[in-house]
Amino acid sequence: MTMFLIKKADVGKIAQELSREYEVYGPMIEKSSGQTFFDRVEDLAEINLAAPIPSNPPKAVVFPQMERILAYEYDRTKNAVKMEPDYRVVPKALVGLRPCDLAGMLCLDRFFMGQEFVDEVYLNHRKKMFIVTNTCITPFKQCFCVCTDSGPAAKEGYDLNLTDLGGEFLVEVGSEKGAALAAKLGLAPAGDPHLALKNEKVDKSIAMFEDIAVDSKAWISRVMNRVTTGFAKEEVWEYIGDQCFECGACTFVCPSCSCFNIADVSNPECAGCADRLRTWDSCSYEGYSRMAGGHNPRKPVEDRRNKRFFCKLSYSQMKKYLRPGCVGCGRCAWVCPGDIGLPNVVTYVRREITR
Amino acid sequence: MSQTLNIQNGKIVTVPEVATIEEIRDEIREVKTFYLSIDNKEIWNNFKYRSGQFIMCTIFGAGEFAVSLPPSPENDRFHITVRTVGKVTSALHALKPGDKVGLRGPFGNGFPFDEFKGKNLVYVAGGIGLIPLRSSIVHALQYKKDFGRVLVLHGARTPDDLMYKENLKEWQGFDGFETYITVDVPTPDWKGETGFVHTLFDKANLPIENTIAFVCGPPVMFNTVIGELMKRGLSDENIYSTLERHMKCGVGKCQHCAVGRTLVCTDGPVYTYRQIKTLGEEI
Repeated sequence: MTMFLIKKADVGKIAQELSREYEVYGPMIEKSSGQTFFDRVEDLAEINLAAPIPSNPPKAVVFPQMERILAYEYDRTKNAVKMEPDYRVVPKALVGLRPCDLAGMLCLDRFFMGQEFVDEVYLNHRKKMFIVTNTCITPFKQCFCVCTDSGPAAKEGYDLNLTDLGGEFLVEVGSEKGAALAAKLGLAPAGDPHLALKNEKVDKSIAMFEDIAVDSKAWISRVMNRVTTGFAKEEVWEYIGDQCFECGACTFVCPSCSCFNIADVSNPECAGCADRLRTWDSCSYEGYSRMAGGHNPRKPVEDRRNKRFFCKLSYSQMKKYLRPGCVGCGRCAWVCPGDIGLPNVVTYVRREITR
Repeated sequence: MSQTLNIQNGKIVTVPEVATIEEIRDEIREVKTFYLSIDNKEIWNNFKYRSGQFIMCTIFGAGEFAVSLPPSPENDRFHITVRTVGKVTSALHALKPGDKVGLRGPFGNGFPFDEFKGKNLVYVAGGIGLIPLRSSIVHALQYKKDFGRVLVLHGARTPDDLMYKENLKEWQGFDGFETYITVDVPTPDWKGETGFVHTLFDKANLPIENTIAFVCGPPVMFNTVIGELMKRGLSDENIYSTLERHMKCGVGKCQHCAVGRTLVCTDGPVYTYRQIKTLGEEI
C-alpha cells in the first residue's frame, strides 16, 4: 500500500484540490448549537477533522431525504404523455468521513447496486465520488463500532484515509483516484514506522472505548444468532414495542437504513401532471405496511420494531450487506426518546428482559 | 425472451411504458377489467410474462399500484382486473377507453408449472381471489394434457359477487375441467350451493394424492380452507398462494412488501404454505 504524509497545516489542501472537480461535503461544527453536521461545504476552512462524530450520517449525499425520480405530464385532451426521469450525475467528494459512516455507505452500495437489480437513481449519486476517511484516534461517548467491526479505522472503500499522528496526518491510498490526487499534491512518502505509529494510535483508541464510550455496548454476535434463528422471545419484542414512539428518528439517523416511499405529488393546476418523489420512510410508521383498503398485516408496533432490528441483526440481511447492518455509530441510541436504541435492544434480547 | 419494461442491462429505469386503455368491462360491483396495449409496438410485441407475476400500473396524476397479471398473451388479450379500494384504483376506474396509463414490470416469481406436470390441480378462490388465480387456470387449460383433474372451486358472498361467471361456465365445458360455485348469502332466485367454499370439497370429491392446491382469498377464508386441506392430508408444500402487500418499487429496494425474511415483490408473490408458515407474519 502506498502511504504519504501531510502536515496538519496543509491538510486543507486535499479539500481545496477536490473542490475543483467535486462538490465538497464534510463535518462542520455549527456555531449556534455546537453540534457537528456532515453537509455541503461552502467555505472549505469550515471542515473540521477534529470535530466529534456528526449528528447526521452522510446518507443524504447518496440517498437524499426527498428527491424527484420522475416528472410527467399527461394531457388528456391531446392524449399525450411526456415523461422525464431526473438523473443528474454530480461529482461529490466526502472529506473527513468517519469509518462507521463509510461502513454504512458500503451497506447501501451493496444493497442498492450489488443485488439482482441495480438502482439507477442511487447509482447516479454514487457514480462520481471521492471519499476521504478520517481514523477515530479517540472514540466518542456513544460509539460501539468495535462491537460491529466498522471502526475505529476504515479498512476498505476509501480513496484516501487520514490518520492523525500528532503533527501530521498519515495518508493511506485506497484507489487509483486517491493515488492520482496524492501525486498531484506532491506529498512526502511515508514508511513502515509511520504505519506502526498509526496502528499504535488505533490500538490505543480501541483501549479507550472502555473509559470513553460508556453509553453503548452491544454484544452483536450473540444476538445475531438469536434473531436469525427466531430464538428471541415475543415478550421481549412487546416490551421494546411498548417503548417505541413511532417517530422514525432511528431510521433517519441510521447510516444503513434505506427504506423509501414513492409518492406522486400532483400539480393542482394540471390534473395529469405530477412529480414522482422518493422519500425516506420508516418501518416504525403504522402506514408503512398498510394496504389500500386499510388492511395492515403489521399493525402492532412490536411487529414493526422487530422488523427494524431484524434488518440490522439477522444473518439473512448480513448476506446482502456482507457485514452486520449496524455499524456502531450510536446515533439511534442518541436520538431515541423511548430509550430503545440498538445497543439497548441488543441487551434486552440477549438478557430476555421483558419489563 | 421476456421483456421487462423497466429493467435495462440489469439497471432499474424509473420511467414506465405508456399504454392505452382499449376497452373497459364491468365485472361485479366495484370491479372492472381494463384491456390495455403498450404504445411502443416493438416492446408490445416482445412483452411476455409468466402466470402468477404482477405489474406496477401508473395512473397519471394519482400514483402507482401493484396488480396481478392476466394469462399469457398467446391465449388472452392483455388486461388487468381491478377493484376500487383506494385513491389510485378509484382514479383508474374514472378513466375511459383511449386514456393512457403507465406500466412497469412484470415482477415476481410466478407459478412453477414445470413442477406441477402430471398432477391434479385444485383452485380454491374466495371472492376476487379468483383474479390472481385466473391466469394459472387458463395456463392449465392451455396445457391440459400435462395435468390430471383440474378443479376450480369459487366462493363469494352473494351471487352478484361471483367473479368471471362466463369464464366459469366456459371452463366447465372442457374435458377434465370441473367448476364448483357457492355463495355465503343466497338471493331468492339462487339455485346453486350455499356455504363457505370449503363445504364444496366433499361434493367435488377432492383429490389429495398427487395434487397441488392454489388458495387465494380474504385472510379468514384462507385460514379455513388451508386448515381443511391439511386435515384431508394435503401437504403444506403442495398448497400454493399469492400474497398481497403494500408495494412501491416492485424490485426489492423500497422494502415495503417485506414479510418475514422475504420480499413479496422478488421472492413472491407466489409462496407455498410451507414457506408462508416460516414467515411468522400475518397473511
